[in-house]
Amino acid sequence: MAWFYLVLAGIFEMCGVAMINKLHNDRDWKSLVLLTLAFGASFLFLSLAMETLPMATAYAIWTGIGASGGAILGMVLYGESRDWKRLFFIAMVLSAAVGLKLVS
Amino acid sequence: MNKYWIQVIIAAVFEVFWVIGLKHAYDFWTWTGTVIAIIISFYGLIMAGKKLPVGTVYAVFVGLGTAGTVISEILFFDEPFKISKILLILLLLAGVIGLKLVTEDDVQEGAES
Repeated sequence: MAWFYLVLAGIFEMCGVAMINKLHNDRDWKSLVLLTLAFGASFLFLSLAMETLPMATAYAIWTGIGASGGAILGMVLYGESRDWKRLFFIAMVLSAAVGLKLVS
Repeated sequence: MNKYWIQVIIAAVFEVFWVIGLKHAYDFWTWTGTVIAIIISFYGLIMAGKKLPVGTVYAVFVGLGTAGTVISEILFFDEPFKISKILLILLLLAGVIGLKLVTEDDVQEGAES
């Protein structure tokens, strides 16, 4: 269950970061509320994941899902660069995360 | 080193504080401290990102944050030193930093606005 919470926390962090960008462009209250809710949910699930997982492992994977998920989201939704270097680093993050799951 | 980079380092220290808080906070005051640490670290990161290249700022910030959590859980919270885990965290960190640095050009507009 802890790993499920951790993935959920990472997904909410991605949403939160997307809302920061939206707030940057629109400056409306709705984005600010969604931003707060997304980060609130993200920290809640991260803390639930940490009840059983070691904190550095959980933190590193949470950051990794946020960064690589954000990049994937940017590629799919906003046509950001699909340069091989970006794909390579995303693959590196995801394989390290899977590795951490396997050794823990 | 200019004051914005010092701000990044301070933000990273508070990042480590809130990570510790999320795992170890146990009452109203420790949770309040955790929330304050989250606010300080985010604020510091966002403000520094307005003056410095965002990709580089984030890479330094997350590198310091990860190193800080790994070291503090081993030093202060009796987490066993496990080499396979440390290496995988380093690999993950290298991926995140690499991704942020090669994406730098895409996020430049965000830094300027």
